[in-house]
Amino acid sequence: MPKWPPRLKIVNRLHVWRAEHRLTQEQLAKEIGVTRATIVAIEGGGYNPSLELAFRIARFFNTDINAIFAIEEEAR
Amino acid sequence: MKRLDSIFLKVFLYGLPLVIILAIFSYRYGLGRFQGLAGNFKLLYNFSGLVFAIWMLLSIYLSVRLMVSGSFRNLVLARLTFIRERDEREVMLTGRATRKTFLTSLAVLIFLFFLSCFQVSIYRLPPEKAVDGKTGIISLGFGFNLLEYSHKVLPQETLQKTDIFSYAGLPVSSTAVILLLIIWQITSYNFSMQRLMRNEQRGDQGE
Repeated sequence: MPKWPPRLKIVNRLHVWRAEHRLTQEQLAKEIGVTRATIVAIEGGGYNPSLELAFRIARFFNTDINAIFAIEEEAR
Repeated sequence: MKRLDSIFLKVFLYGLPLVIILAIFSYRYGLGRFQGLAGNFKLLYNFSGLVFAIWMLLSIYLSVRLMVSGSFRNLVLARLTFIRERDEREVMLTGRATRKTFLTSLAVLIFLFFLSCFQVSIYRLPPEKAVDGKTGIISLGFGFNLLEYSHKVLPQETLQKTDIFSYAGLPVSSTAVILLLIIWQITSYNFSMQRLMRNEQRGDQGE
């Protein structure tokens, strides 16, 4: 049986950063050029943004991408 | 050219209710009744004919434009099928929903293809024509025609038999099948899109 590498799960702290900056989902969405539904999906873990969008979010908060997005190993 | 297309499209859409009214009118009362009219009715009859002719020409022109022009197709069909791609997430969801629609449509088409090819006939023969003492017959067939053969004269049935069940291809017309497939494509896409969005809200990233 081949040994599969552990599945990686991307987690984010976007809601924390948004709350710290006192922004609504609508406002953040407008600032980074996406729809509010996308922010809801990212925060809820239903959607992993592209690298470009992840960098755009990090740049908007003037921080490193790792401060918002991180990788966790998921048990198979 | 884009402006011309936009004008033609508006004329086509605004003319659609009129054409529907004309179709209902001619279906209910028959066109022959209006041919012998005089005066204003005659004028109205001729005008309706002209409107229908223009609308028909426009429908051909616009459908050809939809086939050859990518931008026109995107503009019209995306709106007609409620495709929204406002950001990368919606583009991704559209891709997934389109994939699902494509695969389910293909499955439906394969099913319809087999349904249209298979021929089944179950009948009972008179006792004197029994085959090996059996009068109940099941006849199976596979018919495939590239062209319609409705005008071809088929040999007359000489066998005296009592039909119990007979199936020789889809009982619906090709126009109905095409219309159903168009409706299916739009419905299937929107249903898939709704489902993907619901799954996403639940935090499920899988298909």
